[in-house]
Amino acid sequence: MNDETEPSVAPPQEADAAALSSGRRRLLKAAAATVGTALAGVPIAGFPQIMKRDFQGITLRHIGVSYAVQREIGEQASKDLGFKIEMQNLDTSASITRFVTQPSSVDIADMEGWQVKVAMARGLLQGIDSKKILEFDGILPIFTTGVYEGRKISRQGISPYEVMYTDGPEAKKIVEGQQQWLTFLPQVFNADSLGYRPDKVGREVSEWKDLIDPKFSGRAAILDIPNIGIMDAAQALESRGDLVYGNKGNMTRKEIDTTIDALIALKKKGHFRASWSTFEQSVELMASGEVFIQSMWSPAVTAVLEKGIPCVYAPVGIKPNGKEGYRGWCNGMSLMKHLSGKKLEAAYEYLNWYYSGWQGAYVARHGYYSPVPRTAKLQMTSAEFEYWYMGKPAAEIIKSDHGQPIGAVGSVRDGGSLAQRFSNIACWNTVMDENQYMVQRWNEFKAA
Amino acid sequence: MSDAEPIMRNSLSLPRSATAAASPPRAERAARVAGDVPRRAWTFYALAAFFSAYVLFLYGPMLCMYVLSFQGPQGALSFPMRGWSLHWFQQLWSGRTADLAGAISRSIPLALIVMAITVVFSVAAGLGFRRRVRGSSAIFYAVIVSLTAPGYILGIGIGLMFSLFGWQTSWFSSALGAHLSWTLPFGVLITFAVFGRFNGAYEEAARDLGASPSQTLRMVVLPILAPGIIAIALFGFTLSYDEFARTLQTTGPSNTVPIEIWSMTQNVTSPAIYALGTVTTAVSFLFIGTALAAVTLIQRRRAAAPRTH
Amino acid sequence: MLARYKPYLQLAPLTAVLLLFVAAPLVLVVVVSFFRSDGFDTIPAFTFENYHAILSSGLTASLYLKMIKYAAMTWAASLVIGFFVAYFLVFHVRNRNLAIGLFLVCTVPFWTSNVIRMISWMPVLAEQGVVNSALLKLGLIRVPLRILLFSDFSVVLAYVHLFTIFMIVPIFNSMSRIDRNLFEAALDAGASRLDTLRLVVLPLTKSGIVMGSIFVVTLVMGDFYVVKVMSGGGSASVVSAMYDNVSTLLFPPAAASAVILLLILTVLIAILTRFVDVRQELVQQP
Repeated sequence: MNDETEPSVAPPQEADAAALSSGRRRLLKAAAATVGTALAGVPIAGFPQIMKRDFQGITLRHIGVSYAVQREIGEQASKDLGFKIEMQNLDTSASITRFVTQPSSVDIADMEGWQVKVAMARGLLQGIDSKKILEFDGILPIFTTGVYEGRKISRQGISPYEVMYTDGPEAKKIVEGQQQWLTFLPQVFNADSLGYRPDKVGREVSEWKDLIDPKFSGRAAILDIPNIGIMDAAQALESRGDLVYGNKGNMTRKEIDTTIDALIALKKKGHFRASWSTFEQSVELMASGEVFIQSMWSPAVTAVLEKGIPCVYAPVGIKPNGKEGYRGWCNGMSLMKHLSGKKLEAAYEYLNWYYSGWQGAYVARHGYYSPVPRTAKLQMTSAEFEYWYMGKPAAEIIKSDHGQPIGAVGSVRDGGSLAQRFSNIACWNTVMDENQYMVQRWNEFKAA
Repeated sequence: MSDAEPIMRNSLSLPRSATAAASPPRAERAARVAGDVPRRAWTFYALAAFFSAYVLFLYGPMLCMYVLSFQGPQGALSFPMRGWSLHWFQQLWSGRTADLAGAISRSIPLALIVMAITVVFSVAAGLGFRRRVRGSSAIFYAVIVSLTAPGYILGIGIGLMFSLFGWQTSWFSSALGAHLSWTLPFGVLITFAVFGRFNGAYEEAARDLGASPSQTLRMVVLPILAPGIIAIALFGFTLSYDEFARTLQTTGPSNTVPIEIWSMTQNVTSPAIYALGTVTTAVSFLFIGTALAAVTLIQRRRAAAPRTH
Repeated sequence: MLARYKPYLQLAPLTAVLLLFVAAPLVLVVVVSFFRSDGFDTIPAFTFENYHAILSSGLTASLYLKMIKYAAMTWAASLVIGFFVAYFLVFHVRNRNLAIGLFLVCTVPFWTSNVIRMISWMPVLAEQGVVNSALLKLGLIRVPLRILLFSDFSVVLAYVHLFTIFMIVPIFNSMSRIDRNLFEAALDAGASRLDTLRLVVLPLTKSGIVMGSIFVVTLVMGDFYVVKVMSGGGSASVVSAMYDNVSTLLFPPAAASAVILLLILTVLIAILTRFVDVRQELVQQP
């Protein structure tokens, strides 16, 4: 389970993927023998009994946005692990500010891929030893190798793969290519596209340019987080054919200007009804009918469906001409530099718990994905797994986490399977080199 | 406080009031406003209507909120209503989606403490400002600066400062201080307004009659200042309970109510917050109703009791 | 004698809080405002580039103009409402307990968090909301009014809704201290109600009005989330621009912006307090 039971082989100097992988398989078999019964369909309450005694009195503070750091997950973890998980929700901006200005007040920093880049530049983190992560092999190759379904994952924007590896336990800088030490452990991820009201729009939407279609003037909304919203705008403009971007995730000043100017023109024409910055706003805009089409997060679509209102997540797979594609994002957990001793061990237990299945099943029912589907699978009914991960038609009524029906028998999840979505990523959430300029121009758009 | 007597104007008699006999004679004005119509009717009703409109304006959205908080599990944050149930109140207390109960258990004591400290510090400062001592100008401008400093940035500054000193932020240290930095300017400025009309003669009279300084304070100054003090207390509590910007970075490991709600909206859309509003209002009305009833009862009993002087 | 030091002692608690929680953090903010930002790093330096960038940017001007517009409209509305509500409560309500009760009724909504109250405007102003439904039913409009929500109107409405209480309380305070004899005397002397209002009540309420104005203007100019939510992200404010900067760790520009806002507001208020010279009223002759 932890390093004490690992076969006493000197750790390889270089991260030889194959060798490590087989070593891990051996380790996993050994671990599975002890906890196999716990994982295979029996309530997870049996998870590391042996550990509970050691970590009494430890509290881990896990801070991040509320869609990644969910209270129920923390409570379950506390129950299973025997020590306290204290979760705190702040919005994106406040949490990264907290990590930077008050680092000792945080133990586990929950961040997006691009925020990891920022945090690493500030020297806030310590490296995560991938050998201590039991399910490392189970992590989808999107993250570990940057290749998925035979294709290289898009490098527009900041993909998790490119920020995931670091040079050592000191975590001094980000290193390209697979290494032993990680900067963060992905815990939840998804691909964003557009959401729309099929009853109001009247046809299928599968292209980003529909967001700026004049037919929807006054009925569209865009995301108001500058470094993400601008990418949605870029997708729309590229889809309409205005220009082709070099890297939507790292635009030149000229590209930024073109994008913002187009946005300002649209705003002046009254195209955008609103721009939203919280999940709740996006759901309300769609549910109340104020807006027919908007950039949207998948769970927001689920929330609208829960209210009995039709809402579809536009499948914007990459077309043969190279246009369209989803915008991917990923949240993960990092260890703050100051963790050591017993607390550090507890942190590793916590990280491993995330990959043990309960969390994976939980987030799946909200429409997110876990990086380790094979353990999540064990905590869901096979019909659920087929629906959420494999994109198959529902064999039973699919219920939300609160028990509300959201998928009728035979319905297919928007965007199809995980594989379909993630081999169609056009760009990842990002922060650009010209960030300061971009934020200023974005504010000009807002003030227009 | 004398009652505002309705003024009846008619061509036959002068306006009367309870204290008319005590008022000094004044020079007559040349023009007399015509009108046998009792003025009271017009302005009173107009103003009463205006007041009602304001209350309606204040409570309008709240009424929608009360109604929507009773929705069923499919409820959204806007109309149309979806179902009727107490589901969202249950959600509120179960703490499934957010730790609202916990946040309340932090916000309310904090607000009460901030209220108490604000009153004491503001009144003391008001007393202190009465003499032009050295540095009082600087302190006055510091008070103004504290009011105008953008809360979000100041909060970051406080958090950073705590971190540099190696202190842990928490809701009863850094958040308390941040809240005080916000409420004290309000308290001090109100004290200025209140003291500005304060007639020092009362204090002198008390002294002449042999009262000690603390007795003067307790029995003369504070009762006269009482309405102002209540205003400061009211502001102190409300400002602290609602404070958001300065608290974001200073609250420590657990959130206060506004932050918890704001963070919640990042992830869920839940009429549970409406349920919270309904509960808060119900509790407040209950509280005020009981307080007022108690006060009226005490006053009646005092009025009924035989006077000895 | 202890009496000489009494004022210092009385001012001490306030001063302590101000030093620790305002002065010290602001020193940090000012220092950071002179740093340079490079990517995500904040490099200690001494440069005016942040100030220069802000003061020479057209964006700054348009943001300030917008906030000043909001502040002016909110101030005007809250002044009118606040004055007449206070006037009603002080001079027209006979029973004192009733007056206090009504006053408290006005304050109860403020114990529900601002965030919730803002959100609760949505069902009222939305297309399918209460106002539109009512107007449609009454036949006053044919098509739902979309201007009610996500516009300047909704922002100012929210500001007035949230902040009028800060105008009512000081004015209420000032008015309740007006000696009723003056009122009666003026009416005895033949003044109309309007004249009494203009010549007696208004001058004596001046300090309350100034107080309330200071509060309201400060609250509006310093806001960042009301404008974000109620305009549907359609407007930015000075502070919301700071917020966006901080999201990507651009601390120096945000700090510089904060210092500039602070200076502008402080000067504004200093001027306002000169009008009434609040402290002059307060200081006794030794």
